[in-house]
This record gives sequence, structure tokens and C-alpha cells, in this order.
Amino acid sequence: MNEPDDTFEKKLKATFDASVDELDAARLSRLNRSRHAALAELQRPRHQWSIWMPATGVAAAVVVAVMVMQSPTAVNEIPGTATVTDMEILLGEDSIEMLEELEFYSWIDTAEMEGDVG
Amino acid sequence: MDVSTTVFAVSCPGTPITGTRALQKERQLNQFLAEVERRALRIAEIGVRDRDEALDLVQDAMIKLVRNYSERSHEEWAPLFYRILQNGVRDWHRRQAVRNRVMVWFGRKSSDDNDYDAIAAAPDPAGRAPDEELQSSQAMQRLEAAVHELPTRQREAFMLRTFEGLDVAGTAMAMGCSQGSVKTHYSRAVHSLREQLEDHRPE
Repeated sequence: MNEPDDTFEKKLKATFDASVDELDAARLSRLNRSRHAALAELQRPRHQWSIWMPATGVAAAVVVAVMVMQSPTAVNEIPGTATVTDMEILLGEDSIEMLEELEFYSWIDTAEMEGDVG
Repeated sequence: MDVSTTVFAVSCPGTPITGTRALQKERQLNQFLAEVERRALRIAEIGVRDRDEALDLVQDAMIKLVRNYSERSHEEWAPLFYRILQNGVRDWHRRQAVRNRVMVWFGRKSSDDNDYDAIAAAPDPAGRAPDEELQSSQAMQRLEAAVHELPTRQREAFMLRTFEGLDVAGTAMAMGCSQGSVKTHYSRAVHSLREQLEDHRPE
């Protein structure tokens, strides 16, 4: 704690200190009770959840990150390919016809892959 | 278990015994709070001009310091305590402003209309003569009124530097601003007070 250098400030400090010394018993008593109420906080145990909250947050973030990285769609899918194909189909002249017979084309596709057709 | 731990266990039945370190921390905090509490109360009283509110603000600051910063180093307690207290004073003024607007809306009298006498009802423990006591009371009333008239930041800088005796770095930490700002606010505050309280000047 630094003391003021200037005489003017010293006089102000002295006036203030005198008013501190003149605090009445009621206020001093109240300050004493306040101090003990504050110190009682040291004995109050912190909530368990507040202790574990940071660790739980980190663990949750790690789990989410792992789930995202391990997701089959995130790893195996080639973004854009299916979308381009779909657009070609939709923009084609016979797209309506194809949509009407979607089940048939789907069966042809499956059968070709399995070697049953052709 | 040493003697101090035993005393702690007896004085606080039902509480966990956390050892001599906890007891030492409690003693340090008790000593620190006992050292600053009266000046803090007067500073809060000048800030809000209401004894009961000032007592509440000091108690809140004590509790928050112990709850949140008891593990910080002893040197940091004073700036942290006064930072909490100054924030409390500012919040109090904001609430009062809102309350006063509401009161005006409903046609009630503002609480700022109350005359506050900071020294009234205070006995003189020093046992001085009534005229001497009156002179001191009047000097403090003038000082208190002059300090209260300062802009908020100047008032904070002046009270923390002069009344509490914090250094520039501690005051900056308590006010949450740079040391340069503290010096500016403090210099302006002293200049204003000199103009208002000429009879305090050295001859």
C-alpha cells in the first residue's frame, strides 16, 4: 500500500482515516458478521458437477469428434458424384419416362451388377 | 494431527477437516478482510451514499472474493476485492437509475431526494470535544460531497489511490483499465478536489 506524497492528499487521507475511526459499533458489528459469513464460504464444498464440468465437456467434444470422423457417410461417400448424376437424369429429355419406370430401371441396374442380364 | 488442526476441527463440527493449509488460508483471509473492511465500507458509503446498501455491497464483495479468489496470491486480494466492490457500486447505480425512472413513471419520489448524513449518529470513540468533533465531521462532509461529485472513474481512481493506498498497478487492476488511465483519472480528480477544497491546501 502506498502513502500519498502530496501534503494536500495527505490531509484528505487523514480526514478520511478519521471518519474510518469513527465508525459506530453497529456498523463494526455488521462488518464482523459479514466477514465471518464470507469465511464460511471456505467450508462450503463445491458442487461435484462444477468440478467435473470441464472434464465432461472435453470428453463430450472428443466423443463427437470421433463419431464424426468414424461416420461411414463422411468417409466413404464422394461428395458431388451422386448429385451430378441425379441432375443429368432430371435434365434429360426422357427423365419423366424414366421416373415413371424407376422400379424397372432399378431392377435392371441390380441385375447387371449381379450378371443376370445381358 | 497438529494442534491447529485439532482446534479447527473442534471449532467447526461437521465440516471437513482440510488440514493446516486451509486453516492458514482462512487466517490470512480473515486478516486481510479485517484490515480492509472499514475503509472499504467508507469508500462504498461515499460511492452509494447509503449505509445499509454500502454494508450489503461490502459483504457481497467479501463473499465473492472468498468464493472465487481465495486461492489467488495474497498480493492480488486487495485489487480483486476492490474490483468486485467497484463493480458492485456501479451495478447499484444502474439499478437505482432504472428504479428511479420507474418511480418517476408512477409519480413517486426518487430515492436520491433523501438527505444523506454520513457522520450523523456516529459517536466519537476518540473522546474529542464537541467543537473539535464538529470540525472533523464538517471536513469529512465537505470531502465526501466533493469526492461524490467527481466523475465515476475519477472518483474510483482517487479513492483507491488515496484512501485505500493502492499503487498505480493495483488500482489499474481494480478498475480494469490501463495504468496510464489511472494516472489521468487520478490527476484530474486531485485537480478538481484542489479547486473545491482550497482550505485543505498547504500554506
